[in-house]
Amino acid sequence: MSVITVCNAIHCNEELIVPQLATKTGYRLVHDGEIVNLAEKLSGISSDRISRAFSAKTSLLNPLTHEKERSIAYLRVAVSEIVAEDGLIIHGFCSHLIPPTISHILRVCLVADMTHRIKRAHSMPKPDKDPSKAIHRSDEDMAAWTMQVLNKPDPWDQAIYDILLPTDKVGVEESVQLIVRNLHSEVLTPTEASLTALADFRLQAKVQLGLALEGHVQAALALEGHELSVKVKNGAVSLTIEKNVLMLGRLEQELKDIVNKIEGVKQVSTEVGKNFHQADIIRKLHFQTPARVLLVDDEREFVQTLSERLLLRDMGSTIAYDGESALQMASEDEPDVMILDLKMPGIDGIEVLRRIKATQPEIEVIILTGHGSEADRETCMQLGAFAYLHKPVDIDVLSETMKKANEKIMERRQQKDA
Amino acid sequence: MKKKEALLQAATFLFSRKGYKDTAMGELSKMTGVAEGTIFYHFKSKQGIFLAILNKLKEGILPEFERYCHAESEKTGLDMVEESLSFYLFMAANHEDLFAILHQRYPYELAESSPECRDILEAIYNSFVGLFENAILTGQKDGSIAPDLSAQRSALIVFAMADSMVRFRMNNLYDVRALSGELVNACRRMLEKRTD
Repeated sequence: MSVITVCNAIHCNEELIVPQLATKTGYRLVHDGEIVNLAEKLSGISSDRISRAFSAKTSLLNPLTHEKERSIAYLRVAVSEIVAEDGLIIHGFCSHLIPPTISHILRVCLVADMTHRIKRAHSMPKPDKDPSKAIHRSDEDMAAWTMQVLNKPDPWDQAIYDILLPTDKVGVEESVQLIVRNLHSEVLTPTEASLTALADFRLQAKVQLGLALEGHVQAALALEGHELSVKVKNGAVSLTIEKNVLMLGRLEQELKDIVNKIEGVKQVSTEVGKNFHQADIIRKLHFQTPARVLLVDDEREFVQTLSERLLLRDMGSTIAYDGESALQMASEDEPDVMILDLKMPGIDGIEVLRRIKATQPEIEVIILTGHGSEADRETCMQLGAFAYLHKPVDIDVLSETMKKANEKIMERRQQKDA
Repeated sequence: MKKKEALLQAATFLFSRKGYKDTAMGELSKMTGVAEGTIFYHFKSKQGIFLAILNKLKEGILPEFERYCHAESEKTGLDMVEESLSFYLFMAANHEDLFAILHQRYPYELAESSPECRDILEAIYNSFVGLFENAILTGQKDGSIAPDLSAQRSALIVFAMADSMVRFRMNNLYDVRALSGELVNACRRMLEKRTD
């Protein structure tokens, strides 16, 4: 005996396949409703409120109340109690709450293409006025759900299931047979490991509920990118803290205190996750673009437009219209990056570059020219230009080049700081 | 050694008033008459000076908190909370340099990449919150404070209120002295054990 979970996109013959599957296997059919009712009994929260967890819409107050997370935590406990029974078909949203480590469960998903689904919708006894809209809404709910509990944006992702059945191509009878055939495979016999995984899941569900009740929002599975994740292996609980907190010692103590009070917990450990120290990434984002940019070009209109377009990309710049004022502004304002035209009256671009690199080598110079030759390019690069670009320039290419110049500057500063 | 001491004093002044980023090493050099090369010889980097200052400020204030926490008291825990609020505000006024630095963004940014900075800050805040937690735990033992409250979480909330008062005062947002009665009452109402 084993357990089958079935998840489906709506109007994929599920109302035919699922009952037939139950008859054929003799397994008890468990819908979301039964699980929600059990969650209601456990929590005292009305089943209506709990069912809101299945909707893509989240209350604006949720960040304060954590109601959705709490409902999911109760649903998980309910599922973990039910799934300990044998010979079940668990059908609906709640199937995603069962972790894949419990290997004696067959995970089935029913999908079909849109034309088939709309056709099926019209053949229902009470068809929707706008079936396509209803289908999209239901798909959105399912996508939000798998994102929330599995961190998977695509609810029909093959990786979540053992069988992904295209019901527009495979008939009802054939689908049922296919599932039953797979059910008898040896892989699905409960093993010692899969039964331990089941016991671990039951404890994990309780721990996650305990933490959710104390306001600690967590990932459903041990996933990255959340504030806290809970893993249970052979009865030992490990908590991974992903959110960077200064008073870490206090947080760890609080989490341990909460979890230690939960029945069945023998051992708790805490650790800091990979995302805890992600300061460097954040900082890179902050300083992706250079803070001070000096544009040097005698074509006034061109350079003013360029300055405006850079501003749209959050890069402020000042302008010099000839070489002489460029040199003066460079020594006064100490820009990070200079964008320099070659052909200018008076001191030309190459000469500006030469002098800048002699006196302020830390300024990265990007040459932007309309007339430059290959020989000019070589000269400029030898003099220490960061890049050599031709007009007209793609603004994406230019801003990308500026970001790279900025990275170089940042690295140099960090080395100097260290 | 004397030179190092003078440098730290001057740098504390600059960092606490101008902020880390707006303090130039040239300025520190001008203020103290110590050549920039010598400054870097003593501290290796601007960040090094900053950490030395933070550590020194920590060493200056933590023993006072420690002593206060361990002093014998006849008072109830709830009264101790009130006293701790005054003590915290008093300390903040007496250690302006430290509190000015603690209320800047930079130390926390640095803590994300520097374990040394992290440890110093964590120790400082542990001691601040510990002050209130200690009083609350005492109150839960002597029956003046509700036993079902989480001492640690309540201590964090009381501390957050007290620390906001410090920010109010430092930035002259409001006349904080006028609010102190309300602050104490709010904390009492939040913590006291009700008989009904």
